[in-house]
Amino acid sequence: MIWIVFFLMAAATFLVIAFTATGGGRAVLSRRDSASAIFADQIREVERDQERGVITAEEGRAAKAEIERRLQAIERQAEADPAARRSGRALVLAAALAVPAVAAGLYWQLGSPDIPSQPFAERAGEQAEAREIADLAERLKLRLLSEPDGGKTEGWALLGQTYMRMGRYEDAAEAFARLQERPDVTSALVSQYGEALVYAEDGIVTPKAGRAFDRALELDPANPAATFYQAMAMEQAGAPDAAYDLLTARMDAEEEFRPWMESFAAQLNRIAPAAGRPRVDLAEFAPAMPGPTADQVAAAEEMSDEDRQAFIRSMVERLATRMQETPGDLDGWMRLGNAYSVLGETENARDAFGRAQKLAETLPQTDPRKATIDRALSELGG
Amino acid sequence: MIPEIGQFALALALAVALVQSVLPLMGTARNNVIWMRSATATSVLLTVLVAIAFGALMWSFVVSDFTVVNVASNSHSLKPMLFKVAATWGSHEGSLLLWVLILVIFGLGVSLLAQNIPLKLKARTLAVQAWISAGFLSFMLFTSNPFDRVFPAPLDGQDLNPLLQDVGLALHPPFLYLGYVGFSIVFSFAVAALIEGRVDPAWARWVRPWTLAAWVFLTLGIVLGSWWAYYELGWGGWWFWDPVENVSFMPWLAGTALFHSAIVTEKRDSFKSWTILLAVLTFSLSLLGTFVVRSGLLTSVHAFSVDPERGIYILALLAIAIGGSLTLFAVRAPQMEGGGLFAPISREAGLLINNLLLATATATVLFGTLYPLLLEAVTGEKISVGPPYYNVSFVPIMLVLVLVMGVGPLLSWKRADLRGVLARLKWVAGLSLLAALAVWYLDTGGPVLAVLSIGLAVWLLGAVLTEWAGRIRLGEVPLAESMRRARNLPRAHYGMVVAHAGLAVCMIGFVGSSAWKSEVVLFAEPGTELEIAGFDVRFEGVEDLRGPNYLSRMGTLTVTRNGSYVTTLRPERRAYPAAGSSTTESAIRTTLAGDLYASIQEPASEDEQGRWTLRILYEPLVVWIWIGSGLLALGGVLSLSDRRLRVGAPRKRAQPVPAPVVAE
Repeated sequence: MIWIVFFLMAAATFLVIAFTATGGGRAVLSRRDSASAIFADQIREVERDQERGVITAEEGRAAKAEIERRLQAIERQAEADPAARRSGRALVLAAALAVPAVAAGLYWQLGSPDIPSQPFAERAGEQAEAREIADLAERLKLRLLSEPDGGKTEGWALLGQTYMRMGRYEDAAEAFARLQERPDVTSALVSQYGEALVYAEDGIVTPKAGRAFDRALELDPANPAATFYQAMAMEQAGAPDAAYDLLTARMDAEEEFRPWMESFAAQLNRIAPAAGRPRVDLAEFAPAMPGPTADQVAAAEEMSDEDRQAFIRSMVERLATRMQETPGDLDGWMRLGNAYSVLGETENARDAFGRAQKLAETLPQTDPRKATIDRALSELGG
Repeated sequence: MIPEIGQFALALALAVALVQSVLPLMGTARNNVIWMRSATATSVLLTVLVAIAFGALMWSFVVSDFTVVNVASNSHSLKPMLFKVAATWGSHEGSLLLWVLILVIFGLGVSLLAQNIPLKLKARTLAVQAWISAGFLSFMLFTSNPFDRVFPAPLDGQDLNPLLQDVGLALHPPFLYLGYVGFSIVFSFAVAALIEGRVDPAWARWVRPWTLAAWVFLTLGIVLGSWWAYYELGWGGWWFWDPVENVSFMPWLAGTALFHSAIVTEKRDSFKSWTILLAVLTFSLSLLGTFVVRSGLLTSVHAFSVDPERGIYILALLAIAIGGSLTLFAVRAPQMEGGGLFAPISREAGLLINNLLLATATATVLFGTLYPLLLEAVTGEKISVGPPYYNVSFVPIMLVLVLVMGVGPLLSWKRADLRGVLARLKWVAGLSLLAALAVWYLDTGGPVLAVLSIGLAVWLLGAVLTEWAGRIRLGEVPLAESMRRARNLPRAHYGMVVAHAGLAVCMIGFVGSSAWKSEVVLFAEPGTELEIAGFDVRFEGVEDLRGPNYLSRMGTLTVTRNGSYVTTLRPERRAYPAAGSSTTESAIRTTLAGDLYASIQEPASEDEQGRWTLRILYEPLVVWIWIGSGLLALGGVLSLSDRRLRVGAPRKRAQPVPAPVVAE
C-alpha cells in the first residue's frame, strides 16, 4: 500500500518535470519588452496623477521626460536577443528521471516504512493496559498502607520499581523512601531510592541522592549503581577526571565481565573528552566475555578441525537456546550473529542481527552498536 | 504510513530543489528557453511536496501519533487542539519545515504572480530561491529530520508546557517566519541581479512590494512576541534586549532601510548598490536569526558543541549564503550603472542618511548581541549586554533618525529647499520644544533621554501632519478642495503618514512606560494596602479555583482612587499538575494614560503560608506601544495596497543649486 502511494508520488513528480520539456511555445519576455511594459505603466500613472492634481503639469512633464530617458538608455544597452534555443529536451527528461531516483535513495537512508502510524485514539488497548498497571500499583499502595506493620519491604520495593518503569519518579522515590529506615533495607534498595531521586530531578544528583549512594556503598561496597551515580555527581560538580578514575577503578576491580560494565563504558566514553582522557574499549575490562573459558579454548586448540567445529557449534547452540529465553538481550543477539558468521551460517547470522536491529531501533542514533549491526548486516548482504 | 509519506515528500522535494538550482541557470547561460521555463513547473512541484510534508506532520500532531519522535517530545494527548496544531512548528524540526514551506510558497508567488519579469531574471531568481530551499531541506533531512520514528511508541507525549500554550505565542513564529522568509525573495532577486551584473527596471519594481509584505509580517511577529512577554511573564516588561529579541529586530531594522532605499531605486533609478546590499544583509540577518535561535547558541556557546553536526552544518550554510552573496556583491557592485543625480539637500539625500543611520543602528544591535557570545567562546567569561549599552548606543542613533524623519518627507526629489521646509516646520519645532520643557517641568531632574525623546516624538508627529496638511493645502484652499486632495493622495503616501505617525506614538509609549514606571513588590497578607501612582490597592485575599486542566489560585485586589472605586484586579497563578509547572496570569487594567498591572506568586516558603508576593506596576502610556505598532503595520499594508508604480516628480530648478552629487 505505502509503496503504491510512493510510486504514485514519484510518477507524478516525474510527469510534471517531464511535461516542461514539451513547453516553449509562448514568446519569450525579453529585458527590453519587460522594461517598456513597466515604463508605459509608469507613464500612465504619471498622467493619472496629473489629472487628479497630485502633481502639477510641469512636474508631470519632467517625470515623463525622465522615464523616457530611462527607456532609451535600456534600448541602447539591450543587445539583440539571440534566437532562444528550444532544444535540450533530453536533459529535462534525465532530470525528471533523476528526481525519483535521488528521492528513493534518500528515503532508503532515512525512512522507516515498516513502522505504522499510531494515532493516540487507536491505542485504546495499550492505554487500558497502562491504566491497569496504574490501577494495580494504586491498589498495591493502598494495601501496603493499610497493613499494620507499614507494609512488606518487598511490596514497597515492587511498587517503587513499577513507578520507575511508569516514569513516575517522584512516586517511586516516595515508595523507596519508606524503606530507608527499616532494619532489613539492602544496599540495592538504598541505591534505587537514590536513582529515583536523580530521575525525579531530571538527572541531577542532588545532595540528598548523594547521601543515599554513600549509604548504599557502606552497606555493600561492591554496589555498582551507587558507584555509577557517585561518579555522575563528581562530573556534575565539575570534576570529570575524578569521575573517570572512579569508574575505571570500579571496572578494574572485576575479574570477569558484568552486564553493568556496558553502561559504565558508555558513561566513560561520554565524559572522556571533558576529562581529557582516552576512550575505553569494553573488551579491555572484560577479558573473559561469557563464552568459552581459557581452559576450554586451550582444549579447543588441541582438537581436530572437525572436533573444534563441533565444539564451537555446541557453544553457539547453547547461546541460541539462551536467546530464546531472553529475546530482549541486544548484546546476546549480536554475539550470536557474530558466532554464526564465523561458522559461515549466513542465513542464521542475518536472522540474529535482524533481531538485534529491531531491538536497536529504540536506541539513540549515536549508539555505536547501531552502526556495528548495520555494518554486519550489509556484509552479510541483508 | 502518513509520516512516511511526509518523509518521502521531503526527499522528493530536495531532489526537485536540486534540479531547480541548476537547470534554469544552465538555461540562462545557454539561452535555452525550455530549461529556463522549467523553474516555473518545479517551483509549483516544490510547493506541493513541502505542503504534503507539512500536512503529514500536522496530521501526526493532531492525532497525537507518538511513533513520530518529534510529536512524542513536543506534544501531549491532553493538549487543547489549537496548541496541538501550533506544536507543529513549536519544535526545532517543525519550525524548519514551516520555514521551508513559507520559502517555497514565496517562490511560487514569484513564478506565478510576477508578470513583466524578463525570463532570464525570473529563471535566475527562482534558481537562487532553490539554492536556499535545497540548503534548508538537506539541513532538515540530515540533521533535524521531523519524521524520525520510534517504535514501540511511548504511551504519551512529553511536553505540555503551559507557558507556551498561548495564542500570542502560537502565532508569533509563523508571522516572524513570514517576515524572515519574505526577505528571501528580495535576496534572490538581488543575487540574480548581481549574477546578471545589472539592475532591471522590473527588479526595482518588484523589490518594494515584497519587502513591504515581509516587513509587515515581521513587525506583527515582533509585536506579538513582545506583547506575550508583557502579559504572560508577569514582569510587566515588553522588551528586554534579549538576544532572541535582538535577532528578530536586526532584520527589521535592515528591512526598514531596504524598502526606503528601494523607493529611490524604483522612482529615481539610483541607490542600486545600496538596495542590493541591504537586500543581501537583511536576508543574511534573517538567516542568522533563525540559526542563532535554533542552534541553541544563545543559551550557551557550549550548546553548540554538544551537537557539532548541526552546528557545523549551520556555520557552513551561513558562510556560503552570506559570504557568497557578499563576495558576489564586492565583485559586481562597481559595475552597476549609476542612476539619477541629486543635490546634497533632497529627498534622496534624506533617504541616504536614513540608510546610513539604520545600518549603523543594526550594527550596534549586532555587536551587542554577538559580543557576549564571542567573549564566551574566546575567554569563557559570561557577560550580558543589556539596556545600559543600548541606551547610550542605539537610542541616540534612533533619535537623530527621528529628527531627520521629520524633515525627509517634506523634501522634494533631486533638489530641495531646506530653508523653506524648515520655515514650514518652525512652529512644530516650537511645539516639540514646549512638550520637552513641559515634561522637564513635570519630571524635574528626570532622565534627559526621556525629555528629549518625547520632544522628538512630538516633532515627528507634527512634521508628519504638517507634510500631509501641505499636500492637501489645508487652510490655503477651501476645505472642500482640501478634502478632494486628501482623497486623491495615493495610498502609498497615506502608508508613509500612518507608519511615521505610528513610530511617534510608539516612542511616546516607550518613554512613558520605561521612564515613569512605578513598581511595588511586597509580601502581602489579606488586608494589605498599598499606594501606587495615585491608586489605592487593597489585597482582599486568594481563592482556589479549578480550571479545565489546571488549579488556579486567584487573588483579588480592589483598586480605588481618592476613595472612589476604580476596578478589581484578579491576577492568577495557575498550576498544571499534568505538566508539573505553573504559569502567571497577570491582571491588567488598560487605559490610554497607563496600565495598572498586577501579578501574584505563591508564598516564598512553607512557613510563609498566607503571605503572597505581589507585584504591582503602573506603566504610563504602555498601550501606545501596541497602538503605534499597529499603525506601523497598517502603514505598511496601506502602502502595499497601492500597487501603482510612481515616479518621483522632480521640481524644476528655481535658482542655481550646488553641484549634484552622484548617488552611489
